[in-house]
Amino acid sequence: MVQTGRLSARRAARTGAGRRYVPRWRVLAVFLLPALLLYSVFIVYPLVTALDYSFFEWRGIRQAGFAGLGNYRDLFGVYPYDQQLWRAFGHNALFFAGTMLIQNTFGLLFALLLHRYGRGKRFLQAAFTTPYLVDPLVVGYLWSLLLNPTFGPVNSLLDAAGLDSWALPWLGDTRTALPIVIVVNAWQWVGFPMLLFSAALAGIPAEYHEAARVDGASARQAFRRVTLPLLTPAIGVVSVLTFIGNFNAFGLVYAMAGSTGSPAGSTDVLGLLFYRVAFVEGGTEAIGRSSALAVLMFVFIFGVSLLAGSYFRRRERRLL
Amino acid sequence: MIKRWIAGAIGVLAVALAACAPGGGEADGDKVTLSLWSWRVEDVKAYEKILATFEKSHPKIHVEFKPFQATEYNTILATGLSGSAGPDVAQLRAYGGLQPLVEAGRLVPLDGRVEALSGFDAKLLEGAKGHKDGKIYGVPFAYQTLQVLYNKKLFGDNGIRPPATWDDMIAAAGRLKAAGITPFAVAAGPDATWTLPIVHEIFGNARYGSARFRDALLSGAKKFTDPDFTASITLLKDLEPYFPKNVVAVKIPDVQALFATGKAAMYPTGSFDLAPVLAANPSLEVGAFQVPPPPGSPVTTPVTPGWADGSFGVNAGSAHQAEALELVRWMATPEFGQLYASELKQLSAVPGVTPSDPLLAEMAKNYAANGAPYTLLVDFRYGQPNGDAVFRDEVQKMLIGQTEPKAVAESLQKGVEQWFKPGD
Amino acid sequence: MTARHRAPGRVAVHLLLWGYAVVALLPLVVMVLNSLRPTSEIFTAPLGLPASPTLRSYGRVWTEASFGAYLLNSLVVTCGAVLLGTAVSALAAYPLARYDFAGNRVLGAYFLAGLMLPIRLGLVPIFYLMDSMGLIDSLLGLTLLYAASGVPFCVFVLSAFYRSLPGELDEAARLDGAGEFRIFGQIMLPLVRPALASVMLFQFVPLWHEFLYPLVLLRSDERFTIPRGLSQFFGEYTTDWSALFAGLVLATAPLFVLFVLATRQIIAGMTAGMSK
Repeated sequence: MVQTGRLSARRAARTGAGRRYVPRWRVLAVFLLPALLLYSVFIVYPLVTALDYSFFEWRGIRQAGFAGLGNYRDLFGVYPYDQQLWRAFGHNALFFAGTMLIQNTFGLLFALLLHRYGRGKRFLQAAFTTPYLVDPLVVGYLWSLLLNPTFGPVNSLLDAAGLDSWALPWLGDTRTALPIVIVVNAWQWVGFPMLLFSAALAGIPAEYHEAARVDGASARQAFRRVTLPLLTPAIGVVSVLTFIGNFNAFGLVYAMAGSTGSPAGSTDVLGLLFYRVAFVEGGTEAIGRSSALAVLMFVFIFGVSLLAGSYFRRRERRLL
Repeated sequence: MIKRWIAGAIGVLAVALAACAPGGGEADGDKVTLSLWSWRVEDVKAYEKILATFEKSHPKIHVEFKPFQATEYNTILATGLSGSAGPDVAQLRAYGGLQPLVEAGRLVPLDGRVEALSGFDAKLLEGAKGHKDGKIYGVPFAYQTLQVLYNKKLFGDNGIRPPATWDDMIAAAGRLKAAGITPFAVAAGPDATWTLPIVHEIFGNARYGSARFRDALLSGAKKFTDPDFTASITLLKDLEPYFPKNVVAVKIPDVQALFATGKAAMYPTGSFDLAPVLAANPSLEVGAFQVPPPPGSPVTTPVTPGWADGSFGVNAGSAHQAEALELVRWMATPEFGQLYASELKQLSAVPGVTPSDPLLAEMAKNYAANGAPYTLLVDFRYGQPNGDAVFRDEVQKMLIGQTEPKAVAESLQKGVEQWFKPGD
Repeated sequence: MTARHRAPGRVAVHLLLWGYAVVALLPLVVMVLNSLRPTSEIFTAPLGLPASPTLRSYGRVWTEASFGAYLLNSLVVTCGAVLLGTAVSALAAYPLARYDFAGNRVLGAYFLAGLMLPIRLGLVPIFYLMDSMGLIDSLLGLTLLYAASGVPFCVFVLSAFYRSLPGELDEAARLDGAGEFRIFGQIMLPLVRPALASVMLFQFVPLWHEFLYPLVLLRSDERFTIPRGLSQFFGEYTTDWSALFAGLVLATAPLFVLFVLATRQIIAGMTAGMSK
């Protein structure tokens, strides 16, 4: 029976994705043009212009001469940017790994636990998503207060519980600062994967689970053989969006660690580096160098996202 | 379904469109409205009062004060000066921060247009000049001085007097610490690192040799790796036991609160911090002292480092340049300076203005007698990386034990060498 | 009936879920409490309970900072942008997910590309673009920019949802002679309603908080959005925390209402999906 369930799902997917409708151009135009126009004028055009900026020398906001790859060379060659660039990149990678591990795992766990939860389900869903409604700058500020080593309640609680050795300076310690930022970020965003996974779970026909159960599959087997494969599209979407979001991380890190990624750059990420070069200490060169940094970020993030997107799409087809 | 969405969207857009009809005209009869941009959102009320005085003597000009969030001001001003609906007069950053606007040609040079500038202090005018062309682009409005603020009551309770020697100061700090009081309110946490070069100036300016060392740096005779400069960094490391615990987790509001509530006795900071501290606790009795030179200092008298805070300049694209010049000319008069000093509790850059606040007056006196440039800000922000930016990151590292004073000095030298050419 | 978890397991689940709910909500209580205290009190004890709770900050935010006008502006801009952005994206994502045509993949990548860049990067060119169109200090300009900024995200998520719908649905409708727009409007769109509600919610929140573009593009006080208006409380060396918190509570309240409405949609859609 499990087999039949999977087979029919596979058939459904194949008809959906395999033999697809070929539309007339006029139909296509009505569907696509409004979005294309809006998006191209207000997003693509300015961004392409900004990319173009990266190849010029700048005198403040006045374009001077053509710089070729000069701005890129500066990023890789001028101290301390050369060191900060790689350091920030590494932190972004950790940020992504940590978020996948904590935020998305808990998002999936909450979605599964709440899927058939009785009274209070709506309230819990709302409560878990509430932090997302608050501005990241405010979230960062509130958690900085809570984690403050002198008057923060987190350390007071640890002291009261006799765990004084656990009462660390948190955001003032190079070992704990980045993990703390990752956890607070997960705290704020966990509702996002939870809602997407909930929607995907709700879309799985109940017959599949019943079929698995009749077949004598344990709960764990049913989860691995039925639920997880059918969640693949949602996992793909969540992973790619997490990746993009984490490599552009800015607001929360800025609020918790300042523009320099305090302490000692242990929380510095590419978003902060961009902010510093573009807005804080960029001086006359700001536009050229910050645009060059943005191009590098774009190439990397876009490249990885495309690869990941096609990987998940292939996996979707194979699993179903 | 989709029709409803689209209808809704169009409806909303129509409302938005109606709300976007062109705003009120600029000229009201023959009265000209000037737009004055600033990064001081906390000063709205004071400026309304100050500008009312200007409007009384200039009935044909109305000035609108528009403050923006300080952290984003540079970007807003850069775009605002190059597009429509920009400012006529704008508050300008000093030294390196001014250069992007000068080099983009967005400002009117004031040489010969504002005569009173010739009477201004040359040190302060430096902050309003184009680095390459040497022209003056703004009327300086304020300067900041660096010193240690102290809590008079705590000093009295612990039998401490403002220190005459470095050793006195260390002894006082030890006594305060033993009494459970934080001796020095210093923050090195997120977004407080910019205060670390300031703290270094306050304690170490005399130790590295003050203005004479600065001249040697600029001419190329000396480098930041000089033993005297390294020794001045070491002072911070030596003083760390007297800073708050976990100093790299401490933010600026934390130390302001520590000092305002009497939990910290001394606050090494700039004159700009006096108003916020007194606003938090108006009954606080505050004194100020200049740090006595530490042993081995090339300079043996106490120093008050300082810098020009900023200036007011005229937008080259302004449609009302004559009136805008009229306004900045007024901003160079003692009338403006006096109003500015009394309304905002700041040190006015206009010559001959004395602050009414006795403590500010003392700071002004100290600066006039023993002033020295805060060299990392004044001279090493003309290229990237900024000298003080490299320095603050390295000092923070030193405070958590990741690096040593000698390495801090080497990194600083390496950073500024990316663009700084001695003798320029 | 379904096999239920054993009792200890269920207790653990309840504990985890309700315990986490407390962790999720507690910091927000701090925000509300601080809005009821004067700034001097927040300054000396950032986390204490209000000594004498007062609504004075709310009054100040409402009068001194004409919060009512900001609220209206924010509503116009954010609702307009979300509706417009979602509408055009719901249209565009459909052919990308379900039609076969040359350039499909390329177009998908083109839309995805906009998701990859920090919005701050485009600041200078966007300023010049808006200036050339006469859209400085205009709520319409801000609305169009925000609407466009949501397109990549919407197209990405919605096309994933369209793709997951069974192929028999539109094939059967086509055999019945239904036109493409009818298939889209009457069959497909209602089926992705939960997804529409989700993407609208997830667009709405960041736009509601966005402050950089209003700072750079808006000039007159009467057109300020809430974040632009609240930025007046961030001084260079001092922040008016009390007023700021009051403003933030007022700014976040409409989001709660929206959120409750949106989850009802999302959940209604889910149950519809389950019963079929």
